[in-house]
Amino acid sequence: MGYIDTKKSTKAKVTTVGNTPINVVIAPRSPSGADSESLLTTIFKSVKSLFVGMKVTIGYLVRPSTVVTQQYPENRETLKMFDRFRGQLRLIKDENNYMNCNGCNFCEIACPNGSIVITDQRNPVNEKLELERFLWRLDSCTFCNACLQACPHDALEWSDGFEAAVYDRRLLVYTLNDYAGPPVKAINRAKKKEDRVEELLATMEPRKQYGGPVPLAGRKMPGVPALETENTKDNASPKHK
Amino acid sequence: MAVKISTLEERISVPAEGDNPLNTQEYFINMGPQHPATHGVLRLMLKLDGETVREVIPVLGYIHRGIEKIGEHQTYRQFVHLTDRCDYLSAMMNNWAVSLMVEKAMQTQLNDRIEYIRTIMAELERIQSHMLWWGVLGMDLGAFTPFLYGFRDREMITDIFEETIGCRLTMNYIQPGGLMDDIHPNFVKRVKDVIAYAKPKIDEYEELLSGNVIIQERLRNVGTITAEQATSLGVTGPVLRASGVALDLRRVAPYGAYGQVDFEVAVGSVGDCWDRYWVRVEEIRQSFRIIEQLIDNIPAGKTMLSKPAKKIILPEGSHYAQLETARGILGIYAVSDGKSENPVRIHMRSPNYHNVWSVDAMTRNARIGDLVANISSLDIVVPDIDR
Ligand code: SF4
Ligand code: SF4
Repeated sequence: MGYIDTKKSTKAKVTTVGNTPINVVIAPRSPSGADSESLLTTIFKSVKSLFVGMKVTIGYLVRPSTVVTQQYPENRETLKMFDRFRGQLRLIKDENNYMNCNGCNFCEIACPNGSIVITDQRNPVNEKLELERFLWRLDSCTFCNACLQACPHDALEWSDGFEAAVYDRRLLVYTLNDYAGPPVKAINRAKKKEDRVEELLATMEPRKQYGGPVPLAGRKMPGVPALETENTKDNASPKHK
Repeated sequence: MAVKISTLEERISVPAEGDNPLNTQEYFINMGPQHPATHGVLRLMLKLDGETVREVIPVLGYIHRGIEKIGEHQTYRQFVHLTDRCDYLSAMMNNWAVSLMVEKAMQTQLNDRIEYIRTIMAELERIQSHMLWWGVLGMDLGAFTPFLYGFRDREMITDIFEETIGCRLTMNYIQPGGLMDDIHPNFVKRVKDVIAYAKPKIDEYEELLSGNVIIQERLRNVGTITAEQATSLGVTGPVLRASGVALDLRRVAPYGAYGQVDFEVAVGSVGDCWDRYWVRVEEIRQSFRIIEQLIDNIPAGKTMLSKPAKKIILPEGSHYAQLETARGILGIYAVSDGKSENPVRIHMRSPNYHNVWSVDAMTRNARIGDLVANISSLDIVVPDIDR
């Protein structure tokens, strides 16, 4: 019994654990023994505490300016995510839509969940390995950032799209590259040397967001109707090997 | 000491001890695994006699994901992100535990910048964890308002995390050898704003809940667990400290920047729910104190000392490191064969696993209404129990 005054009865002292002296604060208890309060004092303090608590609640009722909730989705237009927000993975593109990624595979190795699958092809013009398809499985991604950390070519970034819900889980397997072909570095090198630039650019093939010879990405499954969106059709197998 | 192992069936079929003059029959009730007050998928089998709880048997495994086993197939750097998913309210401390283990094994010397940022982040995480717990405790005891207040204030801190790290809950920020990213330019200002905002709020918490006589009556002398019981059950963290044992690794075996800061360890004297409650509220205050001492003098320096592409191969043998999370002592134990990047075995001594067993000692022969208060005051995160 007795009311615990949280402000008053804290005592600080030093104890030891092993040989380490430790400063401790001890939790307040209700006064007991010689300092115990009369029943009337206890009742008075207890009833008062209820009104003190009520004051806090009523305070917020009359000061609606302290409300912090957001009106989503009404504020969708003005909603701004933090710049490091890990929304969805995407490849960095320059103004001509050329990507930095050269299909070096480091991100695939770093990924703890096997959420990235890279397929490479050899370019017939400059004889270099390049990215054919960058598959990212949102459904098994844990947003751990390891792929960004591992990428030596600064080719990946997070978009701020957080509305990733879809109606069909096959739509969670994304092809991230728009085209299969040389990265921006190879193109620039060719431009500098003026070495078969047109031919090199002609080797680029478009890639759609969904598609490709991978399970689930726009594929048919037994008992499940085929997935047809404008983003599923592309030339499913690469021309060059 | 001999350990008696009994199966669930054996424990269920024990005949009732007839200490009840009315000779009522004991019966079992399942609490969970989907009960909202168990904070996750924890199943408790309650052996009841009327409203009196005779025994509480925690049944685990409903959210077992085999994280330790998966860890054997991952590099240490990859394993860090799985520890986020154990005790998700102390995600950063879990990351730190793995990093600490790796750094201890590799004898990496970290610079002060990394240690300071880690300490500040861990304390922020502790504050937000305790704030969430505070709100949920209010809700468990039948007051919905604290839940909203706790979440509101915690939101400010998760915003800090989001700005620097990009994630709010499962962050994967502290990595072996450093930090994933440097802190955001706004970080220091935001932390100061939060301190200025949240410190008065703690007083508000006191007025709303701690000072409330109903809460005091529901918590005081409920679920008492003595220091001896607590230590023999392996209980750690605020639950142990509430029983009067001032075991806080931040003080006893300082890691990070804890050796350079001044703070007090909150302890209780009786070991009931009230002490556990008060210890956590006081820990929020002490954490703010720690942050205030560090935030102005974060030294300059690199934030990542090992290249992400460099392989981490621990020396042959077993390695262990432990630290204090918001719920108690988390230890990471790894066995390496000295050749491969993956550990041969990885084990976590998780605080919640040890804490959850004390619920039986607390609740025996108490009323069923106190059970919810006991579970709430334990601050259990179930994914950390099962892993
Ligand atoms: S964020 Fe992590 S899980 Fe997701 S793709 Fe990158 S490395 Fe894989
Ligand atoms: S995203 Fe980066 S790491 Fe991954 S394949 Fe492309 S260049 Fe390599």
